[in-house]
Amino acid sequence: MKKHLLAASLLLSAATSFGAGYQINLEGLRQVAMGGTGTAWPWDASTIFYNPGGLCRLKGVQAYLSVSDIMPTTAFGNQMNSGTTPTSVTTNRQSFTPFNFYIGGPVQENSRVAIGLGIYTPAGDGLQWDNNWLGKYLVQSITLKSYFFQPTISYRVSDFLAVGGGFVYGAGTLDFSQAMPVHGPLGPGHDDGQAVLHGNATGVGFNLGAQFKLGDNLQFGLTYRSQVNMSISGGSANFSVPSSLRDSFPNTRFDSQLPIPQVASFGVGYRTGPWTLQLDVNYTGWNSFDSLRFNFDQHTSVLQNMHAPRHYHNTFTPRIGATYKINKIVALMAGAAYDPTPVPNGFVSPDLPDADRVVVSCGISVKPLPRFTILAAFESTTTVKRNATYDFANFNGTYQTFAYTPGLGVYYNF
Amino acid sequence: MRKIYIIAAVGFMFAACKPSVRISAPVSPGTATFTNYLAIGNSLTAGYTDNSLTLTGQLNSYPERLFEQFSLINGDKGAKGPFIQPLLVSDNGYPSARLIMAVSTNTCTGVSSLGPIPYPNFQANAADANLFVSTTNHGQINNIGVPGIRVADYEYRGYADPSVGNPYAARFYNTAAVATPSPMDELIFMRGNLAPTFFTMWLGANDVLGYATAGGQGHGADSASAIPLPGGNYYLQNDITPSYAFYAIYDSILRIATGTGASGALINIPDVTSVPFFTTIPADGLFLTRQSQADSLNAFWHASFPDISFKIGNNLFIIQDNAGLTRQAVPGELILLSTPTANFTCLGWGSYTPIPKQYVLTTDELQFIRAATAKFNGFIQQEAVKYHLAYVDMYSYLGTVASGIKYNGLNYNADFVTGGAFSLDGIHLTQRGYALVANEIIKTINTYYHSTIPYTDANKYNGVIFP
Repeated sequence: MKKHLLAASLLLSAATSFGAGYQINLEGLRQVAMGGTGTAWPWDASTIFYNPGGLCRLKGVQAYLSVSDIMPTTAFGNQMNSGTTPTSVTTNRQSFTPFNFYIGGPVQENSRVAIGLGIYTPAGDGLQWDNNWLGKYLVQSITLKSYFFQPTISYRVSDFLAVGGGFVYGAGTLDFSQAMPVHGPLGPGHDDGQAVLHGNATGVGFNLGAQFKLGDNLQFGLTYRSQVNMSISGGSANFSVPSSLRDSFPNTRFDSQLPIPQVASFGVGYRTGPWTLQLDVNYTGWNSFDSLRFNFDQHTSVLQNMHAPRHYHNTFTPRIGATYKINKIVALMAGAAYDPTPVPNGFVSPDLPDADRVVVSCGISVKPLPRFTILAAFESTTTVKRNATYDFANFNGTYQTFAYTPGLGVYYNF
Repeated sequence: MRKIYIIAAVGFMFAACKPSVRISAPVSPGTATFTNYLAIGNSLTAGYTDNSLTLTGQLNSYPERLFEQFSLINGDKGAKGPFIQPLLVSDNGYPSARLIMAVSTNTCTGVSSLGPIPYPNFQANAADANLFVSTTNHGQINNIGVPGIRVADYEYRGYADPSVGNPYAARFYNTAAVATPSPMDELIFMRGNLAPTFFTMWLGANDVLGYATAGGQGHGADSASAIPLPGGNYYLQNDITPSYAFYAIYDSILRIATGTGASGALINIPDVTSVPFFTTIPADGLFLTRQSQADSLNAFWHASFPDISFKIGNNLFIIQDNAGLTRQAVPGELILLSTPTANFTCLGWGSYTPIPKQYVLTTDELQFIRAATAKFNGFIQQEAVKYHLAYVDMYSYLGTVASGIKYNGLNYNADFVTGGAFSLDGIHLTQRGYALVANEIIKTINTYYHSTIPYTDANKYNGVIFP
């Protein structure tokens, strides 16, 4: 009989996810500085991402490189860790450095055809909670990194209309750890079991855009970026557990899938004197993220596949931005966006606690040489305080996230 | 000075960049006064776990958890220490070994497996048996929970007799006022000594549990006139306490406990038959893999018991019913965890030999247990109304735990060993289980007394320890 005793539910609490925050919207610094707008106006080679149709509007071949540094911190509080002296738990400040590299432009001067290549970071994030915090059985740390490679072609149909498209190949990594519901003699907090998952993900998709020019001072853009299903095959799942449970939790491989959602965008840009004003709207298809699964290669009576419901909603994100050109060398940018959360109440998990975001940004571009431009941008993202529940694991609390993102870039026109 | 000023300013800038979520709900006592808290109860109150009482178990009892939370209340009405429990000095186990998880070899089958076994090479710590004397306030003890105690025992003088009484009571009952104190005498003494302003009382489970763990080998039917036994305790351990006696004594205890105007909470009796001790071995736990096994068994029983039949897969065990008659179990009947499991394979228990009646709760025995539990709980609820006390429906709460709850990312249920809430004896709780119980009591207190006592984080405490 005794061997059946363990034939029950020591299952990992199957409560893992990545939130909306994994879309980072940092693919071009000028656009970042203008609240993330850029669908209408082909400012530079980063239009390979923002609107591939705009690539043939560039004057020549351009090489573009930028690096940002995201520093997110999330605070959590609930009644349980308050007591009489309320305290706030915060994630350790982590730093991520998404980068973008673009090269491309018209194949010859005045050619209708332009080609290019973009390598950029569409998603990436991470949270490092204290290993022994209240939600440790859901998540201790999570890091998600991704890189997209996008060869692109763009065609100028007329002065009015330009179109473009790119094939997207995505690669990325996922690292995840959580405490397991078993512990040794020293007890929870000293002797916790731990699950550590690491996997490499790949996926494919495309990025299409149309760019409309109603004269030098008024432009429109329409883009559609397809969903990219990042799938992990043969990731490693390692369990550190008390030795008597070694056979019940064998180290094994796992498969998983994480959609980077489809996005349809509309943008308009208007120039008057030294000012350029931009407005964008993104419609993001988060509803494809309805659940998260980890399927293990090897199962035991206590190690079963993990499945966590998500049920994200699609979102509309309005963005505005402006550039003020001081002179031929220096321009200043600023912008803002309101990015509503796709995570419905009842599904807010601490592995990426999401809430409505307010984004405020600014930047500067300096053109010290005729062909050479330096960009700097700073973005601040603040979520509202969100008191939310994760019903699946009966975990609740109040979250707030701040992220500060400075970025620096250069481009050169050949 | 200027440098410091600049550093302070920079520090402030960075601090301003960090989000912060501060939940500062005021902790209020509501209409109750928690200053002096007294816990009355049985093994569940004493912190009994893994089939024994240990120092660590006592330090993680639910009254200890409640005291910690009650003392978060500021001001006069918050609980004031010290919170005295009649602590042992060791974790060896008192008076016998605690259970631990270990790999052991079945002497009959030779199969090694991981499971609960009594702590090997157990030696009682002699100091554990010493009389516990509280030096605070001339003998203050805040947790007078005694493992095994029943409502039926409360008026029994001699309950703490060192040789024939309850060894847990013998460790700390005060004999200065009354030479051979009953549990009621101890309560009276402690009431006078501690002047409790708030008490919790979780009594009654043992009034049905003794019958249940004896496999129903006692008197289960209610009677209006059970005859007290001469010279000894009034009622036999294996009987279900007659309801008239339960009502009368329970009410007497409450009259004493509330005598100084204390408010409090009454905790009702859990469904003892839903704990792992009774639910781990299913009635249809006889698993046959080959038709030939079923054929042999059918041939073996057919002549004398034509109703008995076996097939490939799960089969109902062969048991002895309460009258000692052999039959096949019916679904819903319970096989006790105390059944020597080696006998299933090596002596043919449940297949060729009926499982002896003391390891089986048959349908009629279960009816007695359920009827008594329902009656007693109905009475406890009435008493809560009568004495204006909070009524904690632990029967329902532990029922939801048994069927599975999620709590801060962890799953709890009544599965043996793996469920997290029940300890290795299958009846008593783990530290985590006791903390969940404390939270449920706090929830009811908060509702009844309009207090805002915060919950404890149950996941912080030990579940089952794996080697």
